[in-house]
Parts: sequence; structure tokens; C-alpha cells
Amino acid sequence: MEIISPEGLRIDGRRPEEIRRFNCRLGVLSRADGSAYLEQGNTKALASINGPHQAGDKAKIKHDRVHINFQYSMATFSTNERRNRPKGDKRSIDISQLMREIFQSAILTDLYPKSQIDIHVQILQADGGNYSACINAATLALMDAGVPMKDFICSCTASLVDSKTIIDVNNSEELHFSNPLLTLAILPTSEEIILCQMKSRLHADHLEDILKAGIKGCKDIYEIMHREVLNHVREAAAVMNAT
Amino acid sequence: MTIFHSCRGHGTYLQDNKLKASVAGFVEKVGKLICVKPVKSRYNGEVGDVVVGIITEVGQRRWKVDTYSRLDSLLMLSAVNLPGGELRRRSEKDELMMRQHLTEGDLISAEVQSVHGDGSLALHTRSLKYGKLIQGTLVTVAPALIKRCKTHFHNLECGASIILGNNGYIWISPLLKEDAENQTTKSDTSTLEREIVARLRNCIMALAERQMLLYDTSITYTYEASLNYQVSQHKK
Amino acid sequence: MSSSTLSEGRKQFIVDGVTQDCRADGRRCIDFRRFQIETGIVSNTNGSARLRQYGTDVLVGIKAEIGQPKQERSNTGHLEFYVDCSSYNTTEIDGHIGDFTTQLTKSLERIYDSENVLDLKSLTIIAGEQVWVLYIDAVVLECCGNLLDCISIAVKAALYNTRIPGVSVNDEEGVLELEISDDPNDEKKLSIDKVPVIVSCNKIGHRYVVDATQEEECCSSGRLLIAVNDRNNICSLQKSGTGSLDPSTIFEMIETARQAAVPLNQELLQTLKREERSNNDKCGFFAN
Repeated sequence: MEIISPEGLRIDGRRPEEIRRFNCRLGVLSRADGSAYLEQGNTKALASINGPHQAGDKAKIKHDRVHINFQYSMATFSTNERRNRPKGDKRSIDISQLMREIFQSAILTDLYPKSQIDIHVQILQADGGNYSACINAATLALMDAGVPMKDFICSCTASLVDSKTIIDVNNSEELHFSNPLLTLAILPTSEEIILCQMKSRLHADHLEDILKAGIKGCKDIYEIMHREVLNHVREAAAVMNAT
Repeated sequence: MTIFHSCRGHGTYLQDNKLKASVAGFVEKVGKLICVKPVKSRYNGEVGDVVVGIITEVGQRRWKVDTYSRLDSLLMLSAVNLPGGELRRRSEKDELMMRQHLTEGDLISAEVQSVHGDGSLALHTRSLKYGKLIQGTLVTVAPALIKRCKTHFHNLECGASIILGNNGYIWISPLLKEDAENQTTKSDTSTLEREIVARLRNCIMALAERQMLLYDTSITYTYEASLNYQVSQHKK
Repeated sequence: MSSSTLSEGRKQFIVDGVTQDCRADGRRCIDFRRFQIETGIVSNTNGSARLRQYGTDVLVGIKAEIGQPKQERSNTGHLEFYVDCSSYNTTEIDGHIGDFTTQLTKSLERIYDSENVLDLKSLTIIAGEQVWVLYIDAVVLECCGNLLDCISIAVKAALYNTRIPGVSVNDEEGVLELEISDDPNDEKKLSIDKVPVIVSCNKIGHRYVVDATQEEECCSSGRLLIAVNDRNNICSLQKSGTGSLDPSTIFEMIETARQAAVPLNQELLQTLKREERSNNDKCGFFAN
């Protein structure tokens, strides 16, 4: 099965440099300090934030910065084949650790010494780009919770097929193991790369192309996220000014 | 924006000599001070604020209080009125009696005395209007929805009293009677008073869900509008 | 936000309120809180439903897979439950979260995995060898008291929404081969006539309340889980929590639960039918 047809379209009808339909919403849970839901194509993620609050465990209290707890879990019905464990398996723990480090560098942690922020992201439907959706959802939820950050963290995947780069890879495209898969996360304003993870082999000559494509994908996503956050603030302002 | 003409306030940070916003919210400019206030956040206490708190821990000469801030607030033994209204130094006996005065789970109304360096708040209840809250209901909303007013203690015309804590914790209770100091745990709230309290609770939650500012007038108007419906028919 | 320990004064206020049939939010003892239910929002599943109440958000997904039947019931399909409470927003649960979710899972299995609830025989493909196994997974996004009841309502709605694909058995040279049909017209609906909802009845003071909030659960001196179906029959009973109950109390609690379950089951069925007819675009999490 070809990933890119002779007419230049992918299996779901997108062009190689097109991201999937992106929809997001802030403040979906009523009692969380911050929450966000987003859909990247058929991948659906829900993030919730609790904090910053007093660090519970004395061992976790850091006198100069906030402690970040991250939990990544995939609902058992999120994948085509049912998963047995939503979290606690090695992969989830590895991802949670990775996410914790990413957000540690973007959140202004020295503003909240001795506190703790709990971030929980649940993948409700997995159709490729799960880690990207996780990062994007967590960013939006942190914005909703009013946690100060240096910038948004926008994430996107990219791959190389027959020397052509494609971005925002979905599940069926990901399953082609021979193609490299790059997961990238950047701080959009400065274009600084905060996560760069590559699977499979890639010739060094193509690295620049695939990175550029990934950065462009992240920036496209940033535009949509930024717009949604602005709308959210405007709506809140409108209500507050009316009362 | 460069740093020459403005000062950095909350919600902003400096990068390469440029002032940037670190949260998504409203820009507030007070003279040269620029702050960005997020739409929603945990309570950031200021001296003089009235708060409603829940005791979480009884410790050495102080209580730890949950005020929905990023760190637990502290209520020192020296900052409460002794039963009987005496004025003296706190002795060891007072330390042992701490738990009898306030224990875990108790609700108090207090004022922010000072803000420590790390951001935690020191509370005091050294006034007759502050103290333990016994009969009533607690409602929690986002702190940003509480409008700053001259007073946060209101005896509403509908027949109940509310305390709008700046930290988003709101206490609704039946109208305090004359000898309010001697409130015991014995119940003497009639069904009518209870319905008023329940109605107020539902009104406040409805306003909060719609992100509307909470103050005595907005709550009273909503209450009057809700009189068309029975309490048990309310959505929540 | 609020701590799990209540002060004596607040507890007394709640208990007195219950005695006067006027709870903290104005409800009577047998009133359920309003909830919203939406089905079919997770496309990867055979059936799904989401229940939303202020402070509670539960998502249930059902996946049907072909598997081996249970040893003791080789001619019927069966249900497997899993409750996932991993969000930090459910930190107000006493004790270890894993034990709590296991308890919920086992309660649901006990009540729902039975021939008296669903026509499990219709889930057989090849007797003794291959059956449909329904994996019912509940994800608790937020919880504000009365979790088991909310999960049970969402499970019932998800079962209503479930479609099992048609299977044809081909006998090729003695080897039985299964072919799953892609045709939506071949899909089977499940009958939920006998599916119950769980009504938890809490004893507070001398009266009983249903749909207790978190604060009311702290004041409860005994809890009875009663599964009631559309015909107002009792499908299951379980006493949980600390505190002992008098036999006469149990009878009274059952009556209270049955009274409360009637409008609940009716409203649920009406909502599900209305949703099915309207064929609107699902809002899912984008709804207000």
C-alpha cells in the first residue's frame, strides 16, 4: 500500500505537508485546576492539571523550584486491539519521565518553590502522534490552570517516504516500520527544540529536511492552539466585563 | 516592550531584554507596572484579604490551613483569640489545648496577616468577626470570580449570611443570631432557613459555572430570579 | 479542592438537613442529581457512553472481541470489566487507589456478568470454543461522590449503544473459520430490558439518601448497593462501608432505592431513545 499516491495525496486525502484536522478546547473538567481536550485527526487526548499545591511527600519538596508529577495513560479501548494496562507498564513510565523533563524546562519552576504540579494526560483514542497529542494537550491544560510558562510547547510528527517528507503521521502511516518517524516538540516563538525523538533509520542527508518539516508542522499547530487560547481569554473577558 | 519604560509584574518574565507574558490572561497596567493576570489560577494571597480556610494539620504552636493556594497557609497560636478573650502570652497548656480549639477539618474565617518570602500566607483571627465556622455549607469557586469589595461578610436580605473568601471558598450559613459567639453544634436551623441556604448555594454555583463575578448584588439578583423554581428542581 | 475530613459542625449540618429532607443542594432524599449522557463518542469501540454531572465525569467504552468462553459457562459469551481511576482528580479516595478500583470492578462483574441481565447466549459463535467477549472499560475522569452509580448508568447507556458485528462460520475441510462481516446492516443490537442501574443508598442519621455527594458519603453510617432494573426488580444487593445495618433498615433502604430508580430508569431510556432518533453530530468534549 502506498503512503503517497501518484497524485501526491496520502491515504486520508491529505497533502504531505498538511496536518490533520486540529480541534481543541480548554476547561472541560469542572473541578480540575486546569484541563484541556484536543483532537488531532482521530487521536483524542484529555489533560488535567492539579496544582500548584503544597507538595505532599516530604521527599519531593524542593526548596527552590516546583516538583512536577506527570502521568501518561492510554485508555484500554484507545487502540484497535484492546490494551490490558492503561498505565504502569514500562513504556508509560518511560514516557511520563520524558514528559516531566520537557515540561520542567518550559514551566517557570522557580516561581513555586516547595510546591507540586500534577499533570495527567489520558489518550482516549490513539491514531498516531500520541506523544504529540499528549504534549499539546498538557500545554493547553497548563495555560488553563494559569501556570506560568516560557512559551507554548507544540509538538508534531514527521516522516520521510520516498525522499518526500510528510508531517502529522497517523497510525496506518506509522505502522510502516521502514520509514523513520520523528517526534518533535518546539517552543514556537524561538523555534528552540525541546524534544527530538527518532525511530528507525535515516540518512544524515535527509535530517535537515525532516527537521524543517517537523518544525513547520509544529508551527501550524501553534497557530491553532494560540488562536483557541486567545478566544478562551476573550470569552472570559467578555463575561467579566458584563458583570 | 523594553525594560526602560516598564516594570515587571506577576505573569511576566524577561528574556533577552524583552518583557514577555508567561500566562494567558488580561494585561493590567498600573503606572509603569505591567502584570498579566491569568483567567484562572490558584489563590495568590494579599495582606488584608479575608479567607475561608480548612484546617489540615495541628502542629507545634500553629495550624496548617488549606486556602486553595500553592502552599499551605499557617495560623500561629499567637494569632488566635484565646477562649474567654484573655490577653496573655501563650503557655504550654495552650499548646496542648490547641486541638480542642481547632482540629483537622474545621472551617475558619481569617484575615491574611502577612505573606512569607516563599509565598505562603500567615493568617490571623484576632477579631470578633473571624473564627470557627460551624453550621452551614461550603462552596468552592475559582478565586478570580470573587470581586474585591470593602467587606466580604454579608447578611443577605433573603435570610442567610455569606462570607465570600477571597480564596474562592464561600461559606453560606443561616442568619447569625445575636449571640453568635456561642454557636454550638446543636442544630436549630429550620427547614425554611435550610432551603434558603440550598438555594443560595445553587445560585452561586450557577454563576460560577458561567464565569460571572460573585458579589452580594449579583448573588441577590440570581437568588430572586431563582424564586420562580422550587429548590429541589434546580439543576445541581 | 476540599479535604476529605469534615468538621463536626458540617457533618451535623448535613445530618440535620437529611432529617428535614432538605439536603445541601436542596434535593430531597430520593432525588438524583441531574446528569447528561452522550453515547457513541469513541469511534474505536463497539459502544461507548459518557456521563457528566457537576464534579463527575465517567467515560465507558465497550469493545467486543472473539475469545474463549469461561470454563464454567462454555456456551455463553461473557463480560469483562475494568475501571481506571488514574486521574489525580480522584485523590480524595481513601486508601489505595488500586484496591478501590478493583472493588468497583468486582462489584460490576458480579452484577452485570449474568444471564439474567444480558442475553449472553446470543453472544456464542461456536459453542464451547469461540464466543464474543465484551470488554467494558470505564475511565473515571473526575469523581464527586456516588461513583459506582454513575459508572452503572454509563455502562447501561454504552450497552444500548453497542453493536456487535455479524459473524459467519464457514466449515472448510473440518476446520471452522470465522468471518466477521463489515456490513453495518449485519450488526446486532443488545437488548437492555433487564439491565439494571446501581442505586447506592446511604444511611445518614435516621434516614436514607440516594446519590450522595462526597460530603454526604463522609457522614454515612452504612451503605447498601442495590441494582434495580426497568421492571423495578432487584438484581443484586451488596452492603459496603463501615457501620452495621438493622434488617428492617435494609428493607426500608431497598424500598427507597426502588422508588428512586423508577424516574432514573425512565429518564435514561427516554434520553437514549431520543439520542438515537436525532442522529445529531456528537459534541463529545466540545459541548458546554
